[in-house]
Amino acid sequence: MLADIISPDLFASAIRMATPIALAAIGGTICERAGVVNIALEGMMLFGAFMGVIGAMFTGSAWIGVLTAVVAGAALALVHAFASITLRTDQVVSGTAINILALGLTGFLMEVIFGHPGTTDPVTRLGPVFDFSGPQEGMFATAWRWFDVAVMSYTPLVYVAILLAIASHWALFNTRWGLRLRALGEHPRAADTVGINVIRGRYSAVIASGALAGMAGANLTLEQTGSFTEGMTNARGFIALAANIFGRWTPGGSYGASLLFGFADALQIKMQLLREIIKVPSQFFLMIPYVLTVVVLAGVVGRAVAPAAIGKPYEKG
Amino acid sequence: MASPLLEVRGLTKRFPGVLACDRVSLSLSPGEIVALLGENGAGKSTLVNMVYGLLTPDEGSIHVDGSEVHIRSPRHAIELGIGMVHQHFMLLNPFTVTENIVLGNEPTRAGVIDFKAARDSVRELSRRYGLTIDPDSVVRDLPVGLQQRAEILKALHRKARVLILDEPTAVLTPQEVRELFVVVRSLVADGLSVVFITHKLEEVMSVADRVVVMRDGAVVGETRTLETDTAGLARMMVGRDVVFRVEKHPSKCGETVLDVRDLTVLDERKLEAVKGVSFQVCAGEIVAVAGVSGNGQAELAEAITGLRKVASGTIALKGHDITHGTAREAIEAGVSHVPEDRHRRGLVLEFDLMENMILGDHRSAPYSKRGVIDHAAVRDMSTKRIAAYDVRTPSERVRASALSGGNQQKVVLARELGRDPELLVAAQPTRGLDVGAIEFVHSQILAERDRGKAVLLISLELEEVQTLADRILLMFEGRIVKEYLAGEASDEELGYHMTGGGGGKLAMEPGEAVGADA
Amino acid sequence: MPESAVEVSENPLARMLRELAVPVVSVMLALGIGSLVMLVAGYDPLAAFAAMFKGAFGGGRQIGETLLRATPLMFTGLAVAYGFRAGLFNIGAEGQLFLGGLSAAWLGLVLAGLPQPFNIIMMLVAGAAIGAAWAFVPALLKAKVGAHEVITTMMFTYIGKYIVSWLVTGPLRAPGQIPQTVQLPAESTLPRMHEVFGFLAVSRVHFGFVVAVVLALFIWWVLKYTTLGYESRAVGYNPWASETGGISVSATTIKALCISGALAGLAGVTEVMGVHHRLFDQFSAGFGFTGIAVALLAKNNPIGVIVAAILFGALSAGSGTMQLEAEVPAKVIFIIQALIIFLVAAEQLARWIIGRTRRVRVEHAG
Repeated sequence: MLADIISPDLFASAIRMATPIALAAIGGTICERAGVVNIALEGMMLFGAFMGVIGAMFTGSAWIGVLTAVVAGAALALVHAFASITLRTDQVVSGTAINILALGLTGFLMEVIFGHPGTTDPVTRLGPVFDFSGPQEGMFATAWRWFDVAVMSYTPLVYVAILLAIASHWALFNTRWGLRLRALGEHPRAADTVGINVIRGRYSAVIASGALAGMAGANLTLEQTGSFTEGMTNARGFIALAANIFGRWTPGGSYGASLLFGFADALQIKMQLLREIIKVPSQFFLMIPYVLTVVVLAGVVGRAVAPAAIGKPYEKG
Repeated sequence: MASPLLEVRGLTKRFPGVLACDRVSLSLSPGEIVALLGENGAGKSTLVNMVYGLLTPDEGSIHVDGSEVHIRSPRHAIELGIGMVHQHFMLLNPFTVTENIVLGNEPTRAGVIDFKAARDSVRELSRRYGLTIDPDSVVRDLPVGLQQRAEILKALHRKARVLILDEPTAVLTPQEVRELFVVVRSLVADGLSVVFITHKLEEVMSVADRVVVMRDGAVVGETRTLETDTAGLARMMVGRDVVFRVEKHPSKCGETVLDVRDLTVLDERKLEAVKGVSFQVCAGEIVAVAGVSGNGQAELAEAITGLRKVASGTIALKGHDITHGTAREAIEAGVSHVPEDRHRRGLVLEFDLMENMILGDHRSAPYSKRGVIDHAAVRDMSTKRIAAYDVRTPSERVRASALSGGNQQKVVLARELGRDPELLVAAQPTRGLDVGAIEFVHSQILAERDRGKAVLLISLELEEVQTLADRILLMFEGRIVKEYLAGEASDEELGYHMTGGGGGKLAMEPGEAVGADA
Repeated sequence: MPESAVEVSENPLARMLRELAVPVVSVMLALGIGSLVMLVAGYDPLAAFAAMFKGAFGGGRQIGETLLRATPLMFTGLAVAYGFRAGLFNIGAEGQLFLGGLSAAWLGLVLAGLPQPFNIIMMLVAGAAIGAAWAFVPALLKAKVGAHEVITTMMFTYIGKYIVSWLVTGPLRAPGQIPQTVQLPAESTLPRMHEVFGFLAVSRVHFGFVVAVVLALFIWWVLKYTTLGYESRAVGYNPWASETGGISVSATTIKALCISGALAGLAGVTEVMGVHHRLFDQFSAGFGFTGIAVALLAKNNPIGVIVAAILFGALSAGSGTMQLEAEVPAKVIFIIQALIIFLVAAEQLARWIIGRTRRVRVEHAG
């Protein structure tokens, strides 16, 4: 029984479950480092998930679906950017409006396109990237199985998330892009006075976060489930926000924190097996990621410092 | 005669209800130091913000090297060779000095920052102009004087030919000011021109070649410093003869009101900001704690007013221990607080004047009974106080944000003094105010003291301290390092102790003259 | 004490009209954009709005339905509005109302023996209490650690949903196929309005509507006339100045979020006690989130909440008819809701359309 739980499958499952959270969280990091709060990761993820299915359905290609999802997320992000940066609306309110809009849009379009609420028809998914067969017997068989499952069994966006975490983390602290991005969130007026275009920089950061959240949505529908169900994101966008905070506004930290939540998710599924032994209702397992988020926030937030100028609209002069 | 390096003609800028700059014209030649002198609100900052591209002029023109330019942004100004060091630094605190200096102008290879090249260029500039600084130090950890140095290096890194310094000495000790002047003179010797904004007359006389005086948005006078003196400048600045010292009667010290013993207070980063400080303030006395910002005065004031926890030591008000009390308890014990930052700590800008007037008293009779606020009583009190303190406002229903700085401070004073406190803690009470408002605040503080109340004044304006205080405590790195009675010490001696006695490369012995003015 | 006017020489009526302008224009714009969306999707917006209007106001029964649907929105709108005034964003009203409903579903059975109106009052109080309790942990975390209440209350919403789901499908389940609790006895329910006031047309609207309106007036009074309201508003605008004035920011934050939670809890209580008389797994149609739109449209003014809630109630009541007669999916009202939020929040846009408002800065003096 224990062996079923502690296995490379658990690890792989954790990485898979972490992926959408991580993609959104990294998007959140980029956006917040530039000084804009993005509560709407949830809505962008949901809309991306839905549009990914649409894209895949109408073209037969899952990759086009991914592209559609990314564009959809970016489009909603553009609205958020316009409201927050140009109109200087309260960023949390704007983000919430987008979340409601996404719920409404996906539900509405679901009825319009599919004729019924609930779940769409399945579409083609993205399969695992690698497909090697290794030794089946002998000394190396177990080692190979572990390696295969834990490292080689994932779909493309999972690898994208990992690579993105590494690359963007390094870039944030070592490139011109990273330095300027951090300046935007720390002291936009200082950045302005040395000639950095604050508005453009913030717009791109917000749109990038939307693109990543859309990609996260694509991971949900085009890699995990194969179809879209209303409300399927289930607050993952909010958990991504917590992951960013826990990760101290760094992409690497965001990924690591997402892994924690992914692990909770994976564990929750595995523990359903234990229900034979411990008669605990399934809802209690389902609660785990949310309780974990609260615990994480309780333990860490006071000590994690957000970018100094976050949430404050920038006014010239 | 070569065309001037920088020239503005007829520059005008209007804000809603205010003419900030009124057809200002002036010119700047290479290698000269021009001081831009005027009170708070005279229009100096607005003028230079237009030259630096942060604001667009409504009328008028700007010329660089003889040709007209339309400066659309700071980037454009930088390209034209105009650099600026702002009053509130444009530095990113968590970043290093190097990162701050190269921001926007980073040496890169395919987008990757070449930190070594960046560091080297900073060191090179440092050496060339004698502005020593550690390129890898984090800005947040640097003292203010060094932060300013980083700001200057930032402008130099971009090959500025004109350097605008906006109130650079506001946060410096006299020694640091002297160091700055040496730097400025060496920059000018190298061919740069410097525009030096200040409201301090002695500084103008010490360092500037020429001075342009502004008042109410217009240029009211221009002269060479050799041809005038501080009295002449003051007359130009204010438009009338200015009395430098307010009338003050000798103090009559009564019972001990505030008794602080061995007080230790930690700051945000859990470091000791106040280290074992002890002093007393008696009734009818003004004690001033003078020091450069960041030496623990803010934490001291917060501890006494209940806004910050005390690590060890005691604070007693008329014998009553208030060491670990909350702000509410401090108020109830009879402590009033005029905070340093009136917009953040002093007023709720979105509230109207009535609601600001009861802040702190909102739970007591007669303004509230059993949790319900008596609006009539509040309005009554507010109108009376607004009249008594001559707050210029159409009515008590106006939002606090609509008032000018001076009037806002009057509201805060009216509220805090209206409570008839035993102890008034006033931190930087005249910051950003014009001469009229400053005089008013000073007279109110003196009146409090003459009525037999105790006043703790925290200030970095030496003139204010010398004017008001009966006793002066000098605070440096969390400790009281020296105490003087009123009139005992010169500004020089005060400044010397404010840096712990001999801080800085060019520290002078107390008693030595400074520059052209003694 | 005016909330936004700098001008005081203009008369109160003119000021009120100017205050109303932004929300009114925002709603009209939202409906306009909603129409565009419908057109693009191939529907007839005029037919849709006609059907909607018929469904919302077409007769006594319809108006009652509108007021019925407005009732929980008044509670959640008040909850969110009160929170906003104190500088807090209670996005978790949904979870708090679930628990309120749960408490009613259970207490209604347990207290059935008690005489009316005691049991009703107790159920209302208990529902408010449990809503407050559900907001307490997020409130505490915000006050002590600075944890953003948007994330924590959202988490608690999901936790609350799962708890309710477990109870409804488990310990509190009524016998039968559908997962729901046992039906409340009549004594534990809120009477319908027409049963109390005989002259009204027959409809489903229940006494909870009266409770909601009374509560809105009460909250208005609290904000304007009590020290609690004063402190909440002060902290909402400027916690540092509030501290200087001796106000405990953490105590005020906790109180405000708990009060917000209590109001949301009442939404659930009255919904169970007045409409369904039992709790089933998906009994809330997103009242908590619509409450956000209500609060924003009302500019966080409790009296405005009454009006805004009725507007959204009308949208909801009419959406059924719209779906039936004009065949437009009811989900479009979510889109309109989101648009209203955007447009109200982006005041500048609305103001630009209305025309420049006059804002005179008091001249520098002294």
